[in-house]
Amino acid sequence: MRTFKKLRVIILISFLASTLCACWDNKDINHRVLPVVLGISLLKDEYKLFLQIPQPSQGTIKTKVVMGTGKTISQAVDKISTNMESSVDLLHLKVIVFEKKLAQKGMKDLISGFMRSRDVSPKAMVAICDDDINLFFSKMKQSSEPQGTALLEYFEKNAGWNPQIALTSVWETYRSIHSYTQDVAIPMLKIGKSTLVEQVGSAVIKQGKMVEQINSDETLLFNAFNDESTNGKIEVTHDGSVLILGNKMKHKSKFINEKAYLKSKLKLKVSILETTGNATLESIKSDMEKLLTSRFNKMFTKLQNSEADILGLGQFYRKKIPRKELKNWRSEYYSKLSMDFQVQVDIQNGGNLITR
Amino acid sequence: MDRSFQVVIMYILTHLSLIFFLYPRNIIASTDEGHWIPIIIGLLFHFVTITTYLKGLSYFPKKDLINIYLGIGKGVAIFFLIPTTLYFLMIIILTIRAYSEIISIVFLSKTPLWAIMAFLLFMSTYLASKGVEAIFRTGVLIAFLFLPLIILIFCSSVQNVDWHYLFPIVDKEFTFFTNSSFYVSFFAVGGGFLFLGFIPPFLSYQRKKILIGALFLIPCFVLSVYIPILTFGQATASTLLFPFVVALDTVEMDWLIFDRVTMFFLMSLITFIMLYISLVLWKTIRIANVCFPSFKPTFLTITLSASIFILCLLIPNWNDIERVFLWNTYLRFYVMVAIPISVFYFGKRLRKE
Repeated sequence: MRTFKKLRVIILISFLASTLCACWDNKDINHRVLPVVLGISLLKDEYKLFLQIPQPSQGTIKTKVVMGTGKTISQAVDKISTNMESSVDLLHLKVIVFEKKLAQKGMKDLISGFMRSRDVSPKAMVAICDDDINLFFSKMKQSSEPQGTALLEYFEKNAGWNPQIALTSVWETYRSIHSYTQDVAIPMLKIGKSTLVEQVGSAVIKQGKMVEQINSDETLLFNAFNDESTNGKIEVTHDGSVLILGNKMKHKSKFINEKAYLKSKLKLKVSILETTGNATLESIKSDMEKLLTSRFNKMFTKLQNSEADILGLGQFYRKKIPRKELKNWRSEYYSKLSMDFQVQVDIQNGGNLITR
Repeated sequence: MDRSFQVVIMYILTHLSLIFFLYPRNIIASTDEGHWIPIIIGLLFHFVTITTYLKGLSYFPKKDLINIYLGIGKGVAIFFLIPTTLYFLMIIILTIRAYSEIISIVFLSKTPLWAIMAFLLFMSTYLASKGVEAIFRTGVLIAFLFLPLIILIFCSSVQNVDWHYLFPIVDKEFTFFTNSSFYVSFFAVGGGFLFLGFIPPFLSYQRKKILIGALFLIPCFVLSVYIPILTFGQATASTLLFPFVVALDTVEMDWLIFDRVTMFFLMSLITFIMLYISLVLWKTIRIANVCFPSFKPTFLTITLSASIFILCLLIPNWNDIERVFLWNTYLRFYVMVAIPISVFYFGKRLRKE
């Protein structure tokens, strides 16, 4: 009886050995390629994909760019995968670059596809390429960046990110497709002359479609408006340049007679870096306030005309407008919204020199 | 010996496993605004039910549900226990089928479904065959391993919250009452409390501590729905099958070596669901054992699991799972209402005599 029991245990344990080969269709890490950057452009009726793959070789990391076409993204990835010696895994994708033409046509299906399949992390950053994407990727290949992650670091907050760059991930873009009251801005890039990339500004995306474009100065205001920290940005006025130390936003929203009113106040704390001529504290302050206000108003008219609510102003009216009508926020209320934007600049210090 | 701690832990774990997957989706689908109202109604239901149930059970010290009903009469026992058994069987089949589909959707997309189901069922059957004490001890062990992780990830999930999405806060139409998703959401609300009536002969516990443990579940119920809503907004969240899981996917934690915290969260919840299945399986076997006393419990366990496995294979796709969920809802309401009230009633009557 006892030997029988032992035998039973042994048989059971030997069965467990069959699970040692782990999951199905498991591919070892050395048989996978993990692209970091994905570029998508639109051919006639096909997508063209660019995958930037960092490859370790002899102590350093080289960058490889592979291309493929397909009617859908997954088909194109599949094609690349079959043509390569190892299988492509989009799990560690960090940046997705769309060609401008494609963005203008609409990225709704692509973004929904990324959210659906879970192959791509929803945290991956989205960018738009203003140049020919072919050139863009061939330039990236040539660039001597050893890590192959240059574009990724460009967006990292603790690396190359600057407050003039809008930061938008896949899930935020997806949210903008369905949300009634919020759109997104996606950074636009160009091939740089002396640097790898050059920032052109941001694309204004309305429900997955690029409808307008703002420049990088306006993007800074956009970031400040969304309380994204704009620390370290150097703002040039007529009288010199200042360093923004802190920003704070205050909003007051009103809804009277089916019309939306918004009063926003941007409080900036700055320190002076450079002055030209005989600028005084007062003149720097007033010039800066004037400059930012007019810049904001210009941007806002542009945005209102495109009916894209990248500032998320509709969020303030969620409790004021019933949900049924909120659906038409962009067309009915946002385009008629009257905005009062104020800037208040506080000069915290003038650096080592005394300024009066 | 007082085993309240084990029972409370088990109570929390089984409910956590039920809350985070299907519950957010059901609540978000049931109404467009004012999600807190269906949540509160569910929670009230939960607390009223368990208080009645526990109060009723306290009239029968050291007796389980089977003995209580059998003590009153065979007819009563059949009237209450047959639907309960049916309900348990359906729950096991549904849980295994639905959760293996979830595993397949969320991370093991290439693994065949039967393998995932076989694995889930095998672990649960093994645990169930070892008896209730083993299940509860495993529960405590798993809680020590995974509960801190769950709480940490849960706290981190508020990272992308936009409070404006809280509005509109009031739902004036109460349309969710006519929406079947609202009733399906009771899977999480009333799916896990019945075991309290099956364990008294083996483990004793204090009523008060269970209720205190249940309080811990309130934030879980509320946040599991509100975190996806506050992150994405109702319009977007309603397009997602597992809103909470996707909301977790958006969390960025650079200092953690791992890119996706979701995986840890899901893995922990899967172990909880195994505990839940084994517990329900054990309850079913207890009842089956009374009906067929001549069979050995081990034999019953194995036959039961085998038939459950075959039934699981018969459900072909996700839409059918949702349909079975809906059928199961009628039975669930019967069990959720009838059992606590009947136990309470019989207890009161016994007290008078």
